Amino acid sequence: MITRLSHTTLFVSDQEKAYDFYVNKLGFKVHTDAKMENGSRWLTITPPEQPDLEIVLMPLHGMMKLDDESQKALQILLDKGVMGAGVLTTPDCRATYEELKSKGVVFKSEPKEQFYGIEALITDGCGNWFSMTQPL
Amino acid sequence: MSHSPYLYQRIVAAKLYIDNNFTENIDLEQISRQAYLSRYHFHRLFRRIYKKTPHQYVTSKRMERARTLLTANDLTISEVSAELGFESPASFSNLFRKESGMAPQNYRSTSLRLIQEVKAQPKRFIPHCFINQYQLEA
Repeated sequence: MITRLSHTTLFVSDQEKAYDFYVNKLGFKVHTDAKMENGSRWLTITPPEQPDLEIVLMPLHGMMKLDDESQKALQILLDKGVMGAGVLTTPDCRATYEELKSKGVVFKSEPKEQFYGIEALITDGCGNWFSMTQPL
Repeated sequence: MSHSPYLYQRIVAAKLYIDNNFTENIDLEQISRQAYLSRYHFHRLFRRIYKKTPHQYVTSKRMERARTLLTANDLTISEVSAELGFESPASFSNLFRKESGMAPQNYRSTSLRLIQEVKAQPKRFIPHCFINQYQLEA
């Protein structure tokens, strides 16, 4: 029986930039930030109210064992910013939108009423976008 | 219930004021002034939007900073308390214990031990599949 998700990977074009976005702008917490023996950086973060879900901020270069073709394909997708990574939940989409916009966060779309709640689409500047939803 | 974008901007401005000044001795009067609203009206709207009262939010920001200060440097508990704008180390310690479930000193020693362990043996804290799949070994 599977009971929960403990780790998930987010591929990012720039690990340092991703740190700034998720930690400094969105308020995620750093779970583990460790320098590995090969010089790479193991960096995991958790959503503010989910301390047991580690999101691995995985840079495309330097850490992954990928063949050239796969690496190029992933790079193209990140450059295009088309990696849809998931849904972030907020108690108030419009207030969070105003706050993040004031911090320079770029949105693909403004808050809109949907049948499941109010939703805006947010980009992390590192190749990924999320739905930011205030559920009904 | 949704509000006008202008009203949101005012509540958000007050929230950002808290984010930038929570270590000072700020009160509801000062915070609500940032939103150009009465204390009562501001309190009601803030709570509706953030699901916390302004006071609860200030406390959560202070506790978050306390946890950072306790693990990031050599400040004494009294210095951390003063840094966060508490009237006395005792009032800080009592609130910290209530919010975090342990005394500040215990939190510091537990966290520092964990940080040292991660630094010394990071692979103990990384699922083995990641070590295998990614180039995490020299």
